Amino acid sequence: MSDLDRAIAQLRACRPIPEAEVRQLCHKARELLIEEGNVVTVNAPVTICGDIHGQFHDLMELFRVGGDVPDTNYLFMGDFVDRGFYSLESFLLLLCLKVRYPDRMTLIRGNHESRQITTVYGFYDECLRKYGSANVWRYCCDVFDYLALGAIVLGASNTLPSSSGQPAASPPADEVEIEVHNAHGHVISRFLRPKETKGDGTGGARTASPNGGLSNGVSSDSSSGSGSGSASSSAPANTGPPGSGASGSSGGSVGNPAGAVLCVHGGLSPLIDMVDKIRLLDRKQEVPHEGAMCDLLWSDPDEIDGWGLSPRGAGFLFGADIVKVFNHRNDLSLIARAHQLVMEGFKEMFDASIVTVWSAPNYCYRCGNVAALLELSEDESGLGVLARSNGEVNRSDGGVGPRGVLMENDLMGARSGPARRYRVFQAAPQDSRGMPAKKPVADYFL
Amino acid sequence: MDPPPAPTATPTPSSSTPTPSSSSARTPSLPQLPILSSSSRQTHPFTTPTKRIHTGADLTHFLTSLAYRDICTFILQLNRALCPRKLPSTPTTTTTTTATPGATSTSQLPPPPVSSTLNTNPRIKSQSQTHVQSFPLDAPRPADPLAVIRLREILAQVEGLIDLAPPEAGPRRFGNVAFRRWYGLLEERVAGGLLRTCLVPVDGKGGKVGEDGSEEGGGGGDEWLETAAEELKVYFLGGFGSAQRLDYGTGHELSFLAFLGGLWKLGVFSQPGRGQEEDGEVERAVVLGVFEPYLRVVRRLILTYNLEPAGSHGVWGLDDHSFLPYIFGSAQLTRPITDSEPMPLEGSAPGAPKPADVAKPASVDLHRESNMYFSAIGFINDVKKGPFWEHSPILYDISGIKDGWGKINKGMIKMFNAEVLAKFPVVQHFPFGSLFSWDVDPDAQAPVLSMHLTATATAGSTAGTSSSGPGSAASSAAGLPTPMPTGPGIPYSRAPWAGAGSSGPTPPRGGVPDTGPPPPTAFPRGVPGRASNQFSVTKAPWAKD
Repeated sequence: MSDLDRAIAQLRACRPIPEAEVRQLCHKARELLIEEGNVVTVNAPVTICGDIHGQFHDLMELFRVGGDVPDTNYLFMGDFVDRGFYSLESFLLLLCLKVRYPDRMTLIRGNHESRQITTVYGFYDECLRKYGSANVWRYCCDVFDYLALGAIVLGASNTLPSSSGQPAASPPADEVEIEVHNAHGHVISRFLRPKETKGDGTGGARTASPNGGLSNGVSSDSSSGSGSGSASSSAPANTGPPGSGASGSSGGSVGNPAGAVLCVHGGLSPLIDMVDKIRLLDRKQEVPHEGAMCDLLWSDPDEIDGWGLSPRGAGFLFGADIVKVFNHRNDLSLIARAHQLVMEGFKEMFDASIVTVWSAPNYCYRCGNVAALLELSEDESGLGVLARSNGEVNRSDGGVGPRGVLMENDLMGARSGPARRYRVFQAAPQDSRGMPAKKPVADYFL
Repeated sequence: MDPPPAPTATPTPSSSTPTPSSSSARTPSLPQLPILSSSSRQTHPFTTPTKRIHTGADLTHFLTSLAYRDICTFILQLNRALCPRKLPSTPTTTTTTTATPGATSTSQLPPPPVSSTLNTNPRIKSQSQTHVQSFPLDAPRPADPLAVIRLREILAQVEGLIDLAPPEAGPRRFGNVAFRRWYGLLEERVAGGLLRTCLVPVDGKGGKVGEDGSEEGGGGGDEWLETAAEELKVYFLGGFGSAQRLDYGTGHELSFLAFLGGLWKLGVFSQPGRGQEEDGEVERAVVLGVFEPYLRVVRRLILTYNLEPAGSHGVWGLDDHSFLPYIFGSAQLTRPITDSEPMPLEGSAPGAPKPADVAKPASVDLHRESNMYFSAIGFINDVKKGPFWEHSPILYDISGIKDGWGKINKGMIKMFNAEVLAKFPVVQHFPFGSLFSWDVDPDAQAPVLSMHLTATATAGSTAGTSSSGPGSAASSAAGLPTPMPTGPGIPYSRAPWAGAGSSGPTPPRGGVPDTGPPPPTAFPRGVPGRASNQFSVTKAPWAKD
């Protein structure tokens, strides 16, 4: 569709498209999104991203680091808008890509995809300013209401495929659980999978966490700071020196499909004990101030037992016990979520049962953090065949598909975490951005 | 070219306010924050300020309150004092005595010696002979009032507490929890009488500055000092951010301003026998000698503890943390006036940097030590990485204004009214007591119901939330009509922006869709959970705390 491709090209150049086109785009996007369930099923391989917050140039950097659409299959966990200068361009580009490549792009809702929040945190102001009216803001908000609340990733592999950045002396692929790469594809740290002890419900979950869930006491600076990446690590893992090395190992051909990964913007809700209960919500509305839908978009994990009140004033805090019970009950190996700034770009907590992924580098131009994306590779053992079905088969199946696969995983005791490859990147250089003409000031100054 | 005189000459502060002492020398059109007479101080019913703004309707009430009037009056009074002055041909500025009664700062001054040439004033012979005195941060000032010196000492102590509460290392989250320890120390010091010293100069017991600096101390009949200090400390403590939320914003800045306004009302800045001040001299001492040092302490706090912006529109707000330096700083660069003229609405002082210079880092560095506007921009440049026009688009656009700093100053004041004083999320925490009173100002007009107010009032009355409709956000950036009508000038007649027109309630522009969020229930949200690491920002606008 050439109109769409032209819109994509224009948005990639960071130029907004006309209001009429936005209206059309949002209309098409709604038609597409309405067909999706509250919990979208996504098949590995997939690249999972956290908050964007209108940092358009950093989103371009993300695509550079993670691969372009449609070559890479993306899952964005919400908070596309607010705070940054380019919420409009960022969201519309993602939406265009969604409409253009529906199976290569999954967008779920963040707490900022809301009328009330966007009026407080900037997106509303931005639309008014860039279009002179609130129409575009309204079109976008209508799309927000249709965004899915979560996603289930199936068929992720326990092993990492080889990558060009792998040093020559890399450990066998099936022993690597976590790899951290810098923006140039160089491995900056690597964590081996501990020998598993069978029989434990969360077997093998005592993995070394690359940047430090407090619970396992392992931390590393290796992914923070610069993309140049030192390889130092206190983790009980073999970390190769950075640099490009030989490739072409046959990694990825061994291992089992890992348990499913639940992706959600914020976290869990005391009202949701089963993923299937998310599927029953009526999501097509403004994010409520409370209740399950609100919690999924607002909650945060914390070092507490059970549930706690959130200082945000919405959602809850939830502890490791909550996550472990939830993952066990739902045959999940991992929850991926966003919603909280992490200086190192990602943070695994609670024995790697939940990870925060943050994709807005130097947040708000001043936080000095790096960003990350999470790559889950495709299992090629043949055991995940159900999970690899193409197209829309699992999109709105009411949960039948995922259950089938999860049962299979359960029987095999393969709930240990999928192999994770994090790519860490910094804010895009600013030299390429032209300075705009000054715009008319607000009426206060007239 | 000159701006019209104040459109309406209103009476001196209404009788419901603390009795101004011998303020016979006031020019009615340039109101001043009244000072309690020494006798009324003794009997003044000081109270501990309490929160009053709970709903949108309360916000409407606030805009007609005595507190609102006094805040506005004080800001305009300070603002005008910073505007450069035309001087008569003799350039000996330090000895110039202005007899224009308009804006002398203390009410207990004996009538200034009459200087007939000046007293009959205002027509200065010709522009070419006019000398200009401006008031940069880094120029020597006449000796500061003792209270100003004491306040600086207090601020130095406050800043020193940072060394006692170093930021915590460890997993880096945004706001540093060590700020809570710092704030705890601040509370301890205040409870231990930190503020006492700045109250000492009241009643002239503080001695004159520059003589010996020692005060003769309390004496009898000073019980009121204790209760006054109790009232004022709430505003002082409110001026240094939120320990719970680890943030700092314009509401905190407003609180500190109210603290200074309260001190003003108590008369601590007036010192009988100090000699004559020039027009606005004491006000300038308050801004340049206390408020700017306060901002520097706050900036250090923000940097040290990574305090978040309190309620941020992201790049679409004027500034993450501050507002007043943009008012005062633009006043410093505005076209000079005589002592009887109102604040200009356009024009720049000779030699002032251009508004466009704020987008040039080198220019900002050049002027940040002398001007509050550039000082604030310099701090932004210190903190943010990225193109200025991208992270600060509102300031960038304002830098394109062609009509000079006077225009910017006027706009900033209107924007402050709409974006700070009329914003529920900002002023909801402001407490009211005897000095900033919740009582209705009998002279107040019904506030122009901005869209923000209508939206908030609706939400508030039904649910008691702090939600704001789209209208609230609109005004900050969008270049659309703002709630404030643009009159011919800033009326000095009363709380200036309160009733400058009466367009009546504006229908919500853009409109809040009917599918808006349902009202919250009584679930006690907003109570802090485990504090350790939950400050990565977005808070529910409907949260109560």
